[in-house]
Amino acid sequence: MNKTWFFRTVAMLALIPGFAPAQDARQIMIEVENRTRSRTEYYEGSLEVINSSQEITRKRWQYDRLGAYGNSRSALRFVAPPEVKGVALLVINHPDRASDQWMWIPAQERDRRIALQDRSTRFFGTDFSFEDLEERDVDQYDYKLSGDDTVEDAPCWKIESHPRDGKTSQYTSSILWVRKDRYFLVRTDNFNRDRLIRQITYRDVESIDGIWTARTVAVLDKTRNSQTLLTLDNVKYNLPMRDAEFTRENLSK
Amino acid sequence: MKWTATFVCLLTLLAQGQEFSQRGFVELNGNFYPQTFPIDSTRAIGGILAQYEPKWQPTPWFTLNASLDVRMDSHQQVARNLRFDWQDRSLQRTPFSIRELAAVFRKNNFTITLGKQFIRWGEADFLNPTDRFAPTDLLNLVDQELLPVTAARVTYDRGNDTFNLVWQPEFTPSRVPLINQRWTFLPPAYYSFDAQDQGSIFPGRSSFGVRWNHSSARYEYSLSYYDGFNYFPAFNIQVDGPAARLTYSRMYPALRLYGGDLTVPSSLFTFKSEAAYYTSSTKNQDEYVLYLLELERQIHEVHIIFGYAGEVVTAHGNALQYLGERGFARGLISHVLYTLDANRSVTLDAFVRQDGASSLVSPAFSQSLREHWRATVGFAWLRGEANDFLGQYHRNSFARAELRYSF
Repeated sequence: MNKTWFFRTVAMLALIPGFAPAQDARQIMIEVENRTRSRTEYYEGSLEVINSSQEITRKRWQYDRLGAYGNSRSALRFVAPPEVKGVALLVINHPDRASDQWMWIPAQERDRRIALQDRSTRFFGTDFSFEDLEERDVDQYDYKLSGDDTVEDAPCWKIESHPRDGKTSQYTSSILWVRKDRYFLVRTDNFNRDRLIRQITYRDVESIDGIWTARTVAVLDKTRNSQTLLTLDNVKYNLPMRDAEFTRENLSK
Repeated sequence: MKWTATFVCLLTLLAQGQEFSQRGFVELNGNFYPQTFPIDSTRAIGGILAQYEPKWQPTPWFTLNASLDVRMDSHQQVARNLRFDWQDRSLQRTPFSIRELAAVFRKNNFTITLGKQFIRWGEADFLNPTDRFAPTDLLNLVDQELLPVTAARVTYDRGNDTFNLVWQPEFTPSRVPLINQRWTFLPPAYYSFDAQDQGSIFPGRSSFGVRWNHSSARYEYSLSYYDGFNYFPAFNIQVDGPAARLTYSRMYPALRLYGGDLTVPSSLFTFKSEAAYYTSSTKNQDEYVLYLLELERQIHEVHIIFGYAGEVVTAHGNALQYLGERGFARGLISHVLYTLDANRSVTLDAFVRQDGASSLVSPAFSQSLREHWRATVGFAWLRGEANDFLGQYHRNSFARAELRYSF
């Protein structure tokens, strides 16, 4: 009796449109994570912030990450221009909830916790929000395959994602484009309800230490019509790093 | 002077071939007062400040941090001599000062910092009752600067917990306003008196503090203990009324603090609170509770802080005490920062005493120009009554302008 009920339920679920593809979408995202997983990451980022009047502001930062996807710590330090040099952000990602973030501003000689309701704020004059600097863990979202598409002539899966309960996010949904040949995320459209808030594209993809890496990340803030181009240089994976380097005390270093 | 030059040369030599970074700025600033003050007729004060911060890290576990200030001004808030003051105990600012010179050792979860450094405790904004290793320069009461302390600090990080132990062998006082200038600490009744400074009596023993901080997703809190001295002075004043003469000396009463802070982020706003109970073994020091309750909220590009700073005096001391941060208690505070774009921002700070005896409104506009320059203009509007700590300076409203070149 119980077995019959079980098989009938499975058969009925399989007939529900979207049920089986949802499983596939999740598998795709897990594979995306696995193929870009590394113990540590380091890069030097050059940013160009282009506002709606086409004025360009340039900044540079250094990025370190220890761990990966939902169980990682990252530190981001501005190195230019001179007036923001020393500003730093510590992000501690958790598998089951939003990250903890602290920002160090040298002039104040203290760090400040970035509250959850601040996460939609632009990060220090760039078009990245504080939330965009978190690492998205696959287990914090529900996925649904919504079809095929192409990005720059490359065939992609188009996947819709929604944050799960417990995951605090400014975005109510996102559409992700994943290249089929590399299982690599090439574009993300982030929505608040039906409104497109921020579009992030990952370009100039190359393999570094066997890991597909976008050397250019373009963030388009649709609400302000402003764009930030982040160019990654000197990317290195799996360098030795220690937990102690990712503490609030170490932010000021 | 020689010492400073030697220090800079040494750093330059050491930096060769090592991981070395540096930053700094040169700033021109001016304050313009529309009204004269009974004891100070100067309406415009100009100044220049150069700050240089080299950092040398020869190994991952060792860093040498330094910061050097060179400054002068038109109003003798900066002394016009070349005397170097490592202890930061001078009444005026010094033309050359070491803001920071500290060796930082890192091993596993331990960080040990030895030397002159900045130590900030507390999580609140505007007023930090638990921040006892942070004396301030109050030569301009509205535009305060932080002073460093010479100390040994051990920090131990373990997951969500951070332990902080601080030993300060040498006392650093706050720099209170100069007696003959518009932010004078003298009560108005004595403005016409001939005042004679008998000097300061500094504490002979060290200070000690310990703080435990715990942070989690839903809250963050700290507990603090401090055993040391009030960095704001109590005055021993002798008045000769018929001769219109007074003599005074400064002393720094013993102080013990039991404090804590709590931060609770929520989806609507962040609640922050910080409180400290101060006791003293000396009769010239008040015993009191100083606390701050605030709400913080980010709405798009607008960052808003609104709060209340309160004080409860449990025992009155018998000396005239300079209130310092307590002078900003018993009132509502607010801070608004509006980030216009990547280069421009507007701030508005306001304070209103709960009984309406004084108020301060201070807006400012800041604009960065290309990669190195930043210009800031603003003003501080003060109102109040003569018997209020802040209100007594109601003639000191001023406009300010700064031009900074960062490198």
